[in-house]
Amino acid sequence: MLNYSHHKHHRLSLFDGVNELFLLLVSLLCVYPFLYVFFVACSDGASLALGQVTFLPKGFQLLSFQYIFDNPRFNVGTGLINSFLYTLGGTAVALFVTYITAFVLSRKRFVHRHWIMRLFIITWVFDAGIIPQYIIYNAFSFVDNPLVMIIPGAINTQFLIIARTFLLGIPDELEEAAFIDGASDLQILFRVFLPLSTTILATVGTFYAVSIWNQYLIPQIYLKSDKYRTIQQVLKNVVVTDGASDTTFVNVTVGDVTLNQHNLKAAAIFVTMLPIVLVYPFVQKYFKKGVLLGSVKG
Amino acid sequence: MKAMSSHPAANKRTLWERIMRDIKRNRQLYLLIIPGFLLLVLFKIGPVGAMVIAFQNFRASRGLWGSQWVGITNFERIINDPYILTLTKNTVILAVLSVVVVFPIPIIFALFLNEVKSKRLHGFIQSMSFLPYFISAAVMVSILSTLLSPSSGLVNNLIRASGGKSINFMSQPEWFRPLYVLLEIWQTFGYSAIIYIAAMTAIDPALYEAAEMDGANRWKKMWHITLPSIATSVIVMLIISVGNIFTVNLDRILIMYNPSTYSTADVIQTYVYRIAFQSKGFPDYSYSAAVNVLKSVIAFILVMGVNKIADKAADARLF
Repeated sequence: MLNYSHHKHHRLSLFDGVNELFLLLVSLLCVYPFLYVFFVACSDGASLALGQVTFLPKGFQLLSFQYIFDNPRFNVGTGLINSFLYTLGGTAVALFVTYITAFVLSRKRFVHRHWIMRLFIITWVFDAGIIPQYIIYNAFSFVDNPLVMIIPGAINTQFLIIARTFLLGIPDELEEAAFIDGASDLQILFRVFLPLSTTILATVGTFYAVSIWNQYLIPQIYLKSDKYRTIQQVLKNVVVTDGASDTTFVNVTVGDVTLNQHNLKAAAIFVTMLPIVLVYPFVQKYFKKGVLLGSVKG
Repeated sequence: MKAMSSHPAANKRTLWERIMRDIKRNRQLYLLIIPGFLLLVLFKIGPVGAMVIAFQNFRASRGLWGSQWVGITNFERIINDPYILTLTKNTVILAVLSVVVVFPIPIIFALFLNEVKSKRLHGFIQSMSFLPYFISAAVMVSILSTLLSPSSGLVNNLIRASGGKSINFMSQPEWFRPLYVLLEIWQTFGYSAIIYIAAMTAIDPALYEAAEMDGANRWKKMWHITLPSIATSVIVMLIISVGNIFTVNLDRILIMYNPSTYSTADVIQTYVYRIAFQSKGFPDYSYSAAVNVLKSVIAFILVMGVNKIADKAADARLF
């Protein structure tokens, strides 16, 4: 009996050890490719050509980053600036409109809340397709107009549902008390609800920012001029489209360091994902909250 | 009741007055809904209205009102177009692979992660695993293309080192589906696991204690307590993925595919995109819109249907 329980205890801790090690490996495997890109970007071209880069950079240099920014023909600088502006402007507008809409649609006094919400959901599930959308956006002159990244998509139904679900959870008594004190709807919104909504604003704001930063299809359809390109489009052109022919980048020598095309491509990939990776540690708890709020059935 | 029906005019005025009074009383709410309502009508309902071009021979120069109406001609063309069958097949195969191959992984991951008792390790593993969800399709495909590069990618370096010949993965149709599914797993398993992990934290610890008293080991507890406790979430998620059978990651395919992989990679949405925005000649807007209408109607019925089923099966509406 004693022997048995000792044996059982031993087996359980072996399970824990193997399990924890395995999951740790899985999670590192998830992020290893991102690190690999960084190692490639800052290794020297010669070591790279010999296939010597797997875990850490070899022949460390940071000139590849300087090179892609210094050469305007890659559009990396323009792409980054554009993406930043679209993300900032788009997130600000979307967050404001989504929040006030969610506020009204969560008020029981607002008799139209049900049918308006239903229309949001139906148009979300029923995909009109990119061509009818193009015809309408074109009628509002959004073609080759950077505002296409900011205005028409300012309400994402999924994020509207998340915000509304949250606001529905705020007890009615708070609003009633403010009403008795003679507060108007706007005062209730700004003085009662807004201070309670910092978490949900951070959650929805982060979701918007990430989705605008990562957006590929909309700029690809609507923004035709090079000067409006986003970093995602730039990346696609210099890395994937070029993957077969390898013509965009050629080997260059800066000082005594050789940079080859893989250094430069990896540098482009790295700067595209860097903003997300940098803010991720600070906003990941909001991501988690958003997923769970989004899965609440309304 | 009698008085009301005998004075319809008075009744109407009352309704009108009621609306006016409501607007007056809640005028700030009406004011606040304006931007959202405009966005809804113009950019969400508007495109649904513009779908009528599927029944036209749409010419951009003539516009929506001036184009010629052609009835269901475009839909008849779809039935006679053999390529539509290939597109539908490719679309559905990707979705079925997503259900069969991708779906179970976050469940297994969550089951084992639940056994990790150290809070910090648990949090670290979870954070690392759902980071890829927030990385763009362009970055993911670029990384894949870097790793698989025939001349210097890590994978081909390994193949050559072990005496094989380089494979140009990105331009071979038979590699498209495995690579698409690989990216799907990499990007979504950690994210999907969040919902299961949340369901697991709600399990009453007394259940495990009782099972331990009965001599249940780790595997038995996972199998008989943890798994059944998340069954509702699993069923709901499964129903969602069946409903999304026509949803593909369009950005990913558009960035990843090229003419040499069309035979497996081309799906309904990419075809519609190419006809409208990449055709060399005159873009056939109406035909590709008709293809999309057919897809959207079927997908809509599917989603609404599964929502009903989820409602009945798990008492959990999705929206």
